[in-house]
Amino acid sequence: MPAALKRLPLYVVFALLGAVFLFPFVLMALGSFQKVGRAIADPLFWIPDEPTLYNFNYIFEASNFARWIGNSLFLTLVPVAAQLFLAGLLGYIFAKKRFFGRETIFWLLMAVVMVPNQLLIIPKFIMFSKFGWVNTYASIIVPELWSIMGVFLVRQFMLTIPNDMEEAAYIDGAGDFRVFFQIMLPLAKPALATVGTFAFISCWNDLFTPLIFLTAEKMYPITVGLSSLLTKEGNFGIEMAGAVLSFIPTFLIFLFFQRYFTEGIAMSGIKS
Amino acid sequence: MKAYATADTANVSAKPGLAARLKKEWRKNAFVYVVLVPVLLHFLVFQAFPLGFSFVLSFMDWPIIGKAEFAGFKNWETFLHDRLAWKSIGNTLLFSLYYILPTMGIGLLLALLVSVRSKLAGFFKSVYFVPVVTSFVVISGIWAWIFKGNDTGIFNYVLSWFGIGPQLFFSDSKQAMIVLASLSVFKVCGSTMVYYYAGLKSIPGHLYEAAKIDGASGWTMFWRITFVLLLPIHFYVAIFTTIGSFQIFDSAFLLTSGGPNYATTTIVYYLYQEGFVGLRMGYASVLAYVLFFIVLILSLVQRKFLGKEVHY
Repeated sequence: MPAALKRLPLYVVFALLGAVFLFPFVLMALGSFQKVGRAIADPLFWIPDEPTLYNFNYIFEASNFARWIGNSLFLTLVPVAAQLFLAGLLGYIFAKKRFFGRETIFWLLMAVVMVPNQLLIIPKFIMFSKFGWVNTYASIIVPELWSIMGVFLVRQFMLTIPNDMEEAAYIDGAGDFRVFFQIMLPLAKPALATVGTFAFISCWNDLFTPLIFLTAEKMYPITVGLSSLLTKEGNFGIEMAGAVLSFIPTFLIFLFFQRYFTEGIAMSGIKS
Repeated sequence: MKAYATADTANVSAKPGLAARLKKEWRKNAFVYVVLVPVLLHFLVFQAFPLGFSFVLSFMDWPIIGKAEFAGFKNWETFLHDRLAWKSIGNTLLFSLYYILPTMGIGLLLALLVSVRSKLAGFFKSVYFVPVVTSFVVISGIWAWIFKGNDTGIFNYVLSWFGIGPQLFFSDSKQAMIVLASLSVFKVCGSTMVYYYAGLKSIPGHLYEAAKIDGASGWTMFWRITFVLLLPIHFYVAIFTTIGSFQIFDSAFLLTSGGPNYATTTIVYYLYQEGFVGLRMGYASVLAYVLFFIVLILSLVQRKFLGKEVHY
């Protein structure tokens, strides 16, 4: 019996499970081209017989969808950039620098990981009301400028880098900033890629925080916008078009940075 | 490093003046302090202060509009007698029951499957991971149509092949939580797969070879070698899925609004309702602290068990 035939059952299992995992996405993608008013009385209502772009046009005209995408991009890219920079810097400091209270400070910062976001959001809401930050981008961006998990990942990574290069650079007369930017930061690229991908996905997909701080429709990120669409429209094609648009960026990030996800998960989970 | 060690001992033995020591430390570590001070200030304002403030809040009446007043233990007493609060904890436990073991089990099965040596394995590993990066909002939007509670629902259609009549799903108080749990299982089992996959890769192959020589069957090898050596991963995955399950909110908010008849009112959904719909910030803080205690205990359990390394 040829080897390929022997493996057939394996491939069948792969494909069946693959179908189960992909079906919801196929439903979403096909449904987004389904025309409005198509009877949903039969179970195959999600297959468009006359594909149309109407739903996408409708979304952009009847709602603030373009604005929501812009909001989401801004509310994601600024924290991601800041988190990358600060994770690199702080990871370096906590891994390589020797200063008073280093371990105490680091583990104090780490301890707060255990505090659920839902606990901090109530006092933050009161604080931000006083600051005049409700319905501003600051309410989402400022608290997310750095994240201790990112710092932790970079620190763990930098602890594995030998000190030779850094020491050689100092002997050659390089300053702290040069050593950091020209030697340590490039070396930490894999860890930073992981930090960046995780930060992107978690900022882009966050519903709870903007639901509370951004209540003006103009300020919605795509998650809140889409959820308002889901409750308001009750129209299959339009909902799926919205879902497709909010899914695409995360999917692209996943396609390009896939291995950093899996490596990051392994890194954070097994070694911590 | 050596320079540091000698400087340190010099400090202890000779004790130069404080100003001189500070000056020396500054010259050595100015870079560190310039970076660290703003970060620590940020930490104080956005994490440490809110943590303390929420504790104070739990002893206050704090409507958003109007005056804040000290309320003593009133909010905590209300919690003890609040049947809906206890129901929300019960609901959350029920969700955990439906969610944790399936997520772990399916994750492990997927990991076993994709660790088979095959060109297709990598591709399917990616496919099974796609839901992990997708937002709850997107998946909830899709779930609403798959689990529509009448005979046009897609899942009901599939059930009809097996002669099962249409189910109500979201409008049935017994089924609603199961459907929400299925959504979370679908979304998260890709990440448990990745943890298990990393765990499987770290098991040395010679153990299986030795077992084979001893005549062990595949089944025995799985339970006696694989399953046992994955113990640290089981613990880790169990704790993070448990913590995640206590924070479930998005799907209950989007698909059932806590209903029907409060059957999917989870702790966080109830907290959201009390704090941000009812604007009872003090009472919501009590609920948040209850959530925090649960998560804290679980994290401490995790620390305890993760400390134990498994040696091969």
